[in-house]
Amino acid sequence: MKELAISADAPGEKLFMLGNEAIARGAMEAGVQVAAAYPGTPSSEILENLARVAPKFSIYVEWSTNEKVAFEVALAASICGVRAMASMKHVGVNVAHDPLMTASYIGAKGGLVLLSADDPWAWSSQNEQDNRYIAEQGYIPILEPSSVQEAKDMMADAFRLSEEFKHLFMVRSVTRISHGRSDVVLGEIAKKRRKGAFAKDRSWLVYTPVEARRNRPLMIERFERIRRAVNTLPYNQLKLADGARLGIIACGLSYSYTLEAIKWLELDDKISVLKIGTPHPLPQELVKRLLKSVDEILVVEELEPFVENHVKAIAGEANIPVRIHGKDLIPLIGELSTRKVTEAIIRLTSAKPPVNFSEQDRLGEESAPLLPWRPPTLCPGCAHRASLYAIKSAAQKVARDYGKDTEPIYPGDIGCYTLGYLPPLEAVDTTICMGASIGIANGLAHVVEAPIIAHLGDSTFFHAGIPPLINAVYNKANITVAILDNSATAMTGFQPHPGTGHTATGEETTPIKAEDIARACGVKFVEVIDPFDLKKAADTVERAIRFDGPSVIVFRRLCAIMEQREKKQRGEKTVPYYIDQEKCSAKCDACIKLLGCPAIMRENGKTTIDSSLCTGCGICAQVCPYNAILQE
Amino acid sequence: MLKEFNVLITGVGGQGVILMSELLGKAAVRDDLKVRGSEVLGMAVRGGSVSSTIRIGSEVYGPLIPTGKCHLLIGMEPAEALRHIACLSPSSLVVLNLRKIVPFTVLLGKSKYPSLDEIMEKLSTVSSQVIRLDAAQLAEEAGSPITANMVMLGAAFGTGQIPIKLETLKAVLQAHFPTKLAPVNIKAFDLGYHACQQSLK
Repeated sequence: MKELAISADAPGEKLFMLGNEAIARGAMEAGVQVAAAYPGTPSSEILENLARVAPKFSIYVEWSTNEKVAFEVALAASICGVRAMASMKHVGVNVAHDPLMTASYIGAKGGLVLLSADDPWAWSSQNEQDNRYIAEQGYIPILEPSSVQEAKDMMADAFRLSEEFKHLFMVRSVTRISHGRSDVVLGEIAKKRRKGAFAKDRSWLVYTPVEARRNRPLMIERFERIRRAVNTLPYNQLKLADGARLGIIACGLSYSYTLEAIKWLELDDKISVLKIGTPHPLPQELVKRLLKSVDEILVVEELEPFVENHVKAIAGEANIPVRIHGKDLIPLIGELSTRKVTEAIIRLTSAKPPVNFSEQDRLGEESAPLLPWRPPTLCPGCAHRASLYAIKSAAQKVARDYGKDTEPIYPGDIGCYTLGYLPPLEAVDTTICMGASIGIANGLAHVVEAPIIAHLGDSTFFHAGIPPLINAVYNKANITVAILDNSATAMTGFQPHPGTGHTATGEETTPIKAEDIARACGVKFVEVIDPFDLKKAADTVERAIRFDGPSVIVFRRLCAIMEQREKKQRGEKTVPYYIDQEKCSAKCDACIKLLGCPAIMRENGKTTIDSSLCTGCGICAQVCPYNAILQE
Repeated sequence: MLKEFNVLITGVGGQGVILMSELLGKAAVRDDLKVRGSEVLGMAVRGGSVSSTIRIGSEVYGPLIPTGKCHLLIGMEPAEALRHIACLSPSSLVVLNLRKIVPFTVLLGKSKYPSLDEIMEKLSTVSSQVIRLDAAQLAEEAGSPITANMVMLGAAFGTGQIPIKLETLKAVLQAHFPTKLAPVNIKAFDLGYHACQQSLK
């Protein structure tokens, strides 16, 4: 019995799906015709799944250079009457913010959906930002699923709603939806395809002040229509319990934790519950009905008090005397859980804790000191390890010329190489957002005297690294930029990008070289090197830092995981290295202390290499002072 | 009707934790059970701590296992099993692979790895039953060291607690792996299954 594919046209069948697969499936069911995205955890699998079925369903799918472009691509398709979406992680929406704020003035012709995958607890992100506020700022209605099934259903419905109200919609996922799994009942896949047509009409498409002033009231009017309509959408559900004193308003995924907490406390039918699937705009009629029926309200939502503040405003305006709790009892930080909701309900009722929580905490706390620190790390054979080692050794040498206490500064960026902040490399001094390595380096260059070496990956360079590089040339920032080119967007799952010569759907295209761009930006020192030649790499970095003016070095080496995969396909064998125990001092630890490669181990006082992990990169052999590391 | 059965799988990136939960979930859906689960991806291939939940039953809604409600912990690595001790209760069952993976931070002297005795002692203070096996060795026996996750999946089924039919899970295994690789994975599963049953005798 073969497993059905997520694109199977089998309405009513049940499949076990990842949240992001369900989101992609929802878009297929809606007949999406254009999908654009930039990879970012936890959103990447959405576009990957759409790319796989692109030919089958005639969907145009692209990895865009960044989220701003992705959103503009989708917006254009919508303007031409075609159903379109852009998907991105929460901080990606910051990059798309500019067109987004005017897109809501434009509205939508073909259904237009922005999928924002937020990351409470910042599992794979630089912050915990709550994108419901971005949607609010732009008059963008939000659909927020409580389960993987609902994520699919909402996604399919969002395009229809967008067309009905001629307005773009945001579907807000979170990590535990996007990377949650569940049984999902499939719907029908729309087969009809529209032909895009651009009708010139500057009244809603050319934004000079005149059109801005003309379209803003129209936008507000559309939004007010949506505000009235959300009261009857199936995603908002009010369940009043007879004589209930407490009402809970639960937004998105928090609804599932709330249901479990109520069952755990055996308070079924004793608490009224309003499930919120549209946090913006809130279903005001349902909220008021709940507020009027109870004495106390608990608003359950992850991150910011978004729904809470709106509910408080509704209660205030309608003069409803009800006590409203939220972030006084529900944590502001991190993900929620059944336990956190349970504890909040206990505070407001006389319910007894179902388990002894402090006893459970004690178990964890007592074991914590025993546990080893296990951060994710650069893979064995990763070229970034070699690049960062070469950068550091050269930069430290040059820094001594500035003064004996001068330390080089390494502004870093977003990607696998961010893991270079860990010991032993410790070669990342700042990580803020995509492209910030070069922007921060620009600023540093004007206020500190030290070698400044920014580093970022190839995909990140194309995404947001080019304007700050031009800035460095224009404003004479004496910095070195290391582009760590591993021919992939590796951290998020090896997606192709403009440098790889392949599109999202595997078509060949013109590969764009980072060094060509650097030269075109006016950088006078541009060199391309192989990071696995440590000596040459370090020499090049030294010359680059000493060069008067901005310099760029491209460290080019395929991602180790992809390299291993390709070797396997070609039938090539990996020849691992080993340590000659007679030559090894087993004391100097240079290989361990300088590189931190997971393939190098210590067993019974001997330093060894795990041949099943070693990819044969040979970097350790280059740093061994005893020449004790040899290839098999 | 089954109300709730919670499985937590813990390990290190690269051990196949995510695949185990995927296979369990697919089998549960084939058995017409309601399933919820979740994992943290992204960092998963890079040697960090990884955990994944699979929850089965009519009263399961959220993706995460509530504190103390884990029925079965499948520990692919000893320290990573201990890391999740707070989700266990006296009625929890633990199936533990004894093969350690020592992180590089220990080599660098930045952290310490506990002894197996310390780990066992801690786990045994909570869980009434910790079933131990050397999954790496059984995987070698099966014919491929990378099938340790299938050994552990087999051992988990060997407890007789997972509310999924054995033949359903096997059909899912058969369908998941390419024809050439299915036999070695199913053999690994069977070795784990029998090792667990032996230790329960």
